[in-house]
Amino acid sequence: MVVDDLFELTSFRIHQEAHIRVNQNACAGCSHRACTFSCPANCYQWNEERGRIDFVYEACLECGTCLLVCDKGALDWNYPVGGFGVRFRLT
Amino acid sequence: MARQLKEFDVIVVGAGPAGASAALRMAQKGLNILLLERGETPGAKNMFGGMMPKCPVVDDLIPNFWVKAPWERHVVKRTLYLITKQSATSMVFETDASDDSPYNGYTLFRPVFDHWLAEEAQKAGAKLLCSCLVKDLLQKGKQVIGVTVGREKGDLRAKVVLACDGVLSFLAQKAGLRKEFSPSQMAVGIKALFHLTEEEINERFNLVQAQGATCEFLGCTEGIRGGGFIYTQTETITAGIVLHLDALKKSGIAPYTLFEQFIALPPVRRYLKGARLVEYSAHLLPEGGYRMIPRLFTDGMLVAGDAAALCYTNGLNQEGMNLAMSSGFLAAETVVDAFEKGDFSSKQLRQYETRLKESFVLRDMKIFEKAATWMHTDRLFSEYPRLVNRIMEEIYRSDGTPRKKIARIGLEALKGNIPVRHVIADLLKGGKSLIW
Repeated sequence: MVVDDLFELTSFRIHQEAHIRVNQNACAGCSHRACTFSCPANCYQWNEERGRIDFVYEACLECGTCLLVCDKGALDWNYPVGGFGVRFRLT
Repeated sequence: MARQLKEFDVIVVGAGPAGASAALRMAQKGLNILLLERGETPGAKNMFGGMMPKCPVVDDLIPNFWVKAPWERHVVKRTLYLITKQSATSMVFETDASDDSPYNGYTLFRPVFDHWLAEEAQKAGAKLLCSCLVKDLLQKGKQVIGVTVGREKGDLRAKVVLACDGVLSFLAQKAGLRKEFSPSQMAVGIKALFHLTEEEINERFNLVQAQGATCEFLGCTEGIRGGGFIYTQTETITAGIVLHLDALKKSGIAPYTLFEQFIALPPVRRYLKGARLVEYSAHLLPEGGYRMIPRLFTDGMLVAGDAAALCYTNGLNQEGMNLAMSSGFLAAETVVDAFEKGDFSSKQLRQYETRLKESFVLRDMKIFEKAATWMHTDRLFSEYPRLVNRIMEEIYRSDGTPRKKIARIGLEALKGNIPVRHVIADLLKGGKSLIW
């Protein structure tokens, strides 16, 4: 399906450090886990086994949806270091 | 780095349409400008739906602007769809007047257009520094005196800082100009670009040469406040959806799942048939309208473009880039005056707000002030599109059943679905925000 290909076509320059940090302690008290479905790049996933949020910063489109839907203050949210992160070509 | 690089008349943060327009104008007036951009190139972080409406300041910035600017198609045809999974009702507007240059609206690619505009600012003498993320404001008391960037010894000083740092504007927040955002004030837009040939696009949308079309869709978002859109470029079609964040958060549905449903709707599917996926992107947009606009200035600092929430939709118009460029231009004019007076206090910079209020920027946002609330009416995005399609279906269905007049069909369709008093209240609310 198209959705499987969607994420493959965006270009990134990936920094070695994550620009967003997730405070798992804050996530533990969250009932809606809105980040896990709201993120347009599917960067957040709930790991049932480990009881934590798995976060993949490399695919982040830097839109800020997660920052707005998180009401637990769990995110230390920054843009990537200058020149890194997503680079749109045409959009 | 030499010392002269660290002291500027004005630092503009963000080389999008607001920042690059402002930098270009101020450089033209002889000011020493540093334009900072966190992307590798201007436009690398930027995304919009697809159309820039014509606005007068562009020709003040660059004579014959649209002859020189890189654009894709000029929009001659606008379609509004009320859609359900089974049927669609649409209204198409097209006019010969759209074929007169300068055109009424242009589709374009932001990484291309923004890059070009920033280069024009550079040609006029502004210094452009890319791959440079601004971390914080430098302040002396209440006066903003520069910014710190993510580099060693990264203090950059200026008489004025112009924050054009986009929808999330952390600089406006750090300066105390805006409050925390709430999810109901913001929407996320996601879109994908699909490749087709120029001829295929012209055929499918019934266009000639560089003519372009736009389509808006209501009813395709599973009841989540928002909608779908299609824009045509020369050899590509953009398809995407916009979703209010508070409604998305409640829904538990992923944006890309809704997107997949959207492009599977028969009218959308037919436009996109056989098209090759090129790029996917996402961005937030301000949806709070006039009431969301932050304080626009403080001592030594101004805010323009999305950073100032200068962006709106009333259900029919979707505007942002024109407001960004115009606000950037008016901020530049204000700063030029401030340099003539040698006064960079908020008292002097207040002129910016006056200029915006006199221009179409704040007048348009003010006149549609109530539209932001109207666009938060849930029924617009599911019940009403369904209702309209049900009525249309009954009007056109031929099966020997005696026909009824439209009011009767409407009332029967409402029964058990929406109380009539809600419909009247919604009509009044919509009327007040859009019609009278």
